[in-house]
Amino acid sequence: MIIRQTLTILALAAILGLGLNLFTPNRIAYIGQYRTLSTGNDPIVPPNAAPGDPPFIAVDLAELEFNSGSVIFVDTRVPEDFECGTIFGSINIPFDYLPDEGLEKYLDSALGGVARDRMIITYCSGEECDLSLHLARNLQALGYTRVSIFFGGSREWEKHGLPIERKHACDE
Amino acid sequence: MGKAWAADRKETRVRRVIDNDLLTVIVRVAVGATFIIASVYKIRDPGAFAKSIWFYHLVPGDLINLMALILPWIELLCGLALILGLFYHGAVVLVNVMMVTFIFALSIAIARGIDIDCGCFKAGQAATRAAWEALVFDLVLILFTLQLLFSRSKQWLLSSS
Repeated sequence: MIIRQTLTILALAAILGLGLNLFTPNRIAYIGQYRTLSTGNDPIVPPNAAPGDPPFIAVDLAELEFNSGSVIFVDTRVPEDFECGTIFGSINIPFDYLPDEGLEKYLDSALGGVARDRMIITYCSGEECDLSLHLARNLQALGYTRVSIFFGGSREWEKHGLPIERKHACDE
Repeated sequence: MGKAWAADRKETRVRRVIDNDLLTVIVRVAVGATFIIASVYKIRDPGAFAKSIWFYHLVPGDLINLMALILPWIELLCGLALILGLFYHGAVVLVNVMMVTFIFALSIAIARGIDIDCGCFKAGQAATRAAWEALVFDLVLILFTLQLLFSRSKQWLLSSS
């Protein structure tokens, strides 16, 4: 009898959850696209990169790290840009809003106090934007040892059909 | 002999507390309300909940959205079932299974060093430090769901089956 009740609740939940999803404005795909195939290419390196800068990685490596799940992706653009299309699951540390004083404390707390050897990938929108490089330099200077820069940014990420998170459409 | 008798008496006292009708109904309402409240944001915004699940890195990608759609309804129905006393024993089993699952998932996330907001009551965020708090909350909550599991009280159930 307990088993029958349990199964009834589970069946009802499945019917309601899967059924009502057809009618709500917040509907999601039944099968999410959380992993996608990679396409290899060379990393984009900006002209203002200097020796000693953190490594630049291509989209295939960024995707590999993304799928490993142990990496923090940091969107370095302003919140308005972050909200209108960013790499799924990333956090936002706008380079333009970094404080003049107490930078270490600010970044440590923005990263949630993670270990200094945690893999961190910075990026912004694409080739025209080098905020990712500047923030990566800051993190490296503070002793974060595994910082990489994905210079292709959110645009290349989206172009490859990788998971994007979007709060609202961009105001153009 | 006397010792065994004392232990026996203590056990019946524990038994009596667990079986207490008033305690059981209060715990039913409290646990039921907790599950209902926890289900609300998830039902309204399954995408946000899917992301919370994703942060745990425990569920295969293809199953994340299905889980995000179904699990909140299990929580809601169980919450209602506990309060109303309908499908009651099935709901008690399910909330206990859910509690064990949540505690297991949070423990793994903490052990792996994934900093997550648990996604229990609101959408999860990466890189916050709430996983510990959520685990403590769940460890307290499971004491109550276990009380329901062991209580033999049948008071104030809409359907006593």
